[in-house]
Amino acid sequence: MRFGPAYGRVKVPLLAFLLMAVASFAGCNSGSDTTVDALVLESLEDPTGTLRPEQVHLKEGGVQRLESARPNLGSTAAAYWVRVSGWQGAPRNARVVLDNPTLDSIDVFVLNGARVLGSVRSGAAYGKAEDLIPSFALPLNEAHELWFRVRSTKPLLLPFSLTQVDRVETTRRRRDLAVALYSGMVLAILIYNTFLAFSTGQRAYFSYLFVVLTVGLVQWGFNGYDRLLWGHSPWMAVNGLTVMGASSGLAALVFARHFLEVRRYTPKWNRLIQLLLVVYAAALGSAIIGMPSLAYNLVNLGALSAPAMLVLSIVSWRKGNPSAPWYFVAWSIFLVAVTMQALRDFGVLASTPMAAALLPLGTVLEMLLLSFALGNRINVLKRSSDEANAKALAASLENERIVKEQNAELEARVRERTDALATANNGLSGALQELQGAQDQLIQTEKLASLGQMTAGIAHELNNPINYVQSNATSLRRDLEELIEVIEAHVRALTALSKSDPDAMLMVTKAQELARSLDLGFLIEESRQLIQGILDGADRTAHIVGGLRVFGRMDGDSLVAASLGELLEASITVLGDRARSKAELNVQLEDGLPPLWCQSGKLSQVFMNIIVNAVQATESRWDEVEARKVQVGLSGVKDGAGRFESLKVLIRDNGTGMDEVTRQRIFDPFYTTKDVGKGTGLGLSIVKGILDDHGAEVAVKSAVGEGTEFQLTFALDAKNGGENKAENEAA
Amino acid sequence: MAEEIIRVLYLDDEEANLFSFKAAFRREFEVHTCIEPHQAVRLLDEHDFHVVLSDQRMPRISGVEFFELIMPDHPDVSRVLVTGYADTDAVVDAINKGQVYRFVSKPWNEEELRNVIQSGYDLNQSRVQNAEQGSEVLAMLEKFAGRVQEFEQALEEGSSASVSRVQQDLRNLRLEVLEERQRYAQWMDRTAK
Repeated sequence: MRFGPAYGRVKVPLLAFLLMAVASFAGCNSGSDTTVDALVLESLEDPTGTLRPEQVHLKEGGVQRLESARPNLGSTAAAYWVRVSGWQGAPRNARVVLDNPTLDSIDVFVLNGARVLGSVRSGAAYGKAEDLIPSFALPLNEAHELWFRVRSTKPLLLPFSLTQVDRVETTRRRRDLAVALYSGMVLAILIYNTFLAFSTGQRAYFSYLFVVLTVGLVQWGFNGYDRLLWGHSPWMAVNGLTVMGASSGLAALVFARHFLEVRRYTPKWNRLIQLLLVVYAAALGSAIIGMPSLAYNLVNLGALSAPAMLVLSIVSWRKGNPSAPWYFVAWSIFLVAVTMQALRDFGVLASTPMAAALLPLGTVLEMLLLSFALGNRINVLKRSSDEANAKALAASLENERIVKEQNAELEARVRERTDALATANNGLSGALQELQGAQDQLIQTEKLASLGQMTAGIAHELNNPINYVQSNATSLRRDLEELIEVIEAHVRALTALSKSDPDAMLMVTKAQELARSLDLGFLIEESRQLIQGILDGADRTAHIVGGLRVFGRMDGDSLVAASLGELLEASITVLGDRARSKAELNVQLEDGLPPLWCQSGKLSQVFMNIIVNAVQATESRWDEVEARKVQVGLSGVKDGAGRFESLKVLIRDNGTGMDEVTRQRIFDPFYTTKDVGKGTGLGLSIVKGILDDHGAEVAVKSAVGEGTEFQLTFALDAKNGGENKAENEAA
Repeated sequence: MAEEIIRVLYLDDEEANLFSFKAAFRREFEVHTCIEPHQAVRLLDEHDFHVVLSDQRMPRISGVEFFELIMPDHPDVSRVLVTGYADTDAVVDAINKGQVYRFVSKPWNEEELRNVIQSGYDLNQSRVQNAEQGSEVLAMLEKFAGRVQEFEQALEEGSSASVSRVQQDLRNLRLEVLEERQRYAQWMDRTAK
């Protein structure tokens, strides 16, 4: 068993205190039963408790001799009549003492046959404060019988003795002193541990305080001193000891549970403790509902917990509970003390003053040892808590170190990631630039595509007239040579005729022959037509080139005043057979409209794009060219004052049409419904950009299977109109 | 063969081109011109043309489409596509579908075009001869098949007279086949040249 350092310090004064206590108990109790003679005791059982004193002499047959001077009739509901004799001849100041203050009721009768000569009532339920040692005067007539009627819920332990009056008083005082001493010790323990309980906050301490209090009260109760607390309450007289015993049992069990940490070390025992707690609680309950005997017996049953706790402490000890040995020793002392008391009560041991002091001493020792054990436990807890704190500190230091390391690592990684992000960002900027480059390229490609489209149209348009100009020139030269040949033949013939050459007629015939063979008339007609073809071709070439002029530069940003009608016509011309041979073009252009300040080349790109789309839409829907219809219209919108405020271009087809989703997306860049590689998806996007630059409103109506209509409205705004006006005036 | 005059048909949607063409080639070839495709089809049915030329870009129908149209009825005629602008689409289309013999761009080179027409005529001639040869061989084979049937009938009769007659016929047939093979070999030689 280990004593904590705190107990090393208090060990010596404590031992001294204990020795003193034992000595004083012994001293206080010495000479308390200096009986003169042995009394003779006879008992009569009154099972129902209804026997009246007048009837006692009729029951002489039931009277039995009691062998012991300290008979123990056990715990019974019956009343007992005890005839005390042997006092005859004793001095007048002698008293019969029944030294058991716990008996509920003691009635003393002086009987002479059926006559009751005197009676005194005493006992816990009736006794007076000074009757802590019930003592009774002797009958005056030695022939009379002295009868004691005792009844109690507690065991009928009847230590009769014959003592002198002053001896009774002395015994009383000594006992008072002993109880006061005991109470003082219990109080000291109580107060000391109350402080500890509140300063440590340990549950075990509080249950321990309860144990000390209840055990102390039980000891008071054994000596009848409890009535000092609550007077002569009959209920308390009957039930006080039971209630205090049950409370003490409850406290002991709760304390054991806390102190031995039953749940941790011996969880199986918890069930038994609960069962015993129920027994004690039932005892309390029985006492409250008015069944004192049952309550008393339940408390006795609960006493089984004493050995049970001893065994439990051993088991707990084996399981490694460091507090268990303390408990074992303390509890053993208590058990020994209780056992000794029981042996004394049953007359096995002599009722010496030392024996009487054993129980209170045992309880005090138990209390002290448990208090030490609690202290030790606190120390153990503190040590383990210190160790835990040290460990926690070390752990937290370690954690701090790890966190620092991790922080450093994290910072490094953050730097790394930042660098990576910066690199990625650079890469992204590069990619963005590339993308923008690609987009520019695509836009350029689209421009080139429309340029190519234009070029193809222009080439075809130009190549046709050039073809027949060139071919006609060749043919004309040949015709001319033949004509010259004919002319020369005629000239020669005429010359010969004029010179009256004899071959003249032959030459005329030859010339005529030549003219016939070469079909002179046809040659002349053909030559005329060839020349006309050359003229037509040249004219047509000039017209096409003239149409091109209105386009201006394709990339030109400069604004020119251009007639939208001319632009539309030029666009259709340039598209040439691309449009005209594939669909029926119905062109209606209003005359006399003011010119529009615009980027003419870009606008013609817009018109060509929309017209080509319209033609393609009809191509997808109709097989016959006659059914494909594209309408191109231009009209002016006038305001209230009759001036033109805007120009409206309408391009409508009866092609496949679009659904709503497609219609909403047609101006999105890269959106195309054409096959991969057929369109860049930029055409209409660029168109929209150009129209936005011109501040033109675009309305697109379309329905699947009906066709599409583009309506472009170009506002002739103040500046535009004004300049137009100025232009017109200047013109 | 050069003795035969070459018949040429030119289809274009522009009158001026037609006139130029006729003026350029009327001296060498029998030139027919036509502005409407359906008229051209009728002319093809009426005359036995050697070479057909067509403009690619025309309203309602392209040159390639026109050639496709006349292919089934006039497989032997040589087809020449003439176009003002050499767009690849038209060329690819022409080669894949139109069975176009040659491709000539405007403005044309007269000499080149003349050669194209001449070689087109040659191709037409060999095609026609091929066809003739083929039909001759076919007629021969049919004739042989008829003879073989006759032999079978004779053999069924089984008389000695008929057997000797069949033997005689077989000898004649062998001679005919040999003669035919010789003719075919000669034709092959000529074609190879």
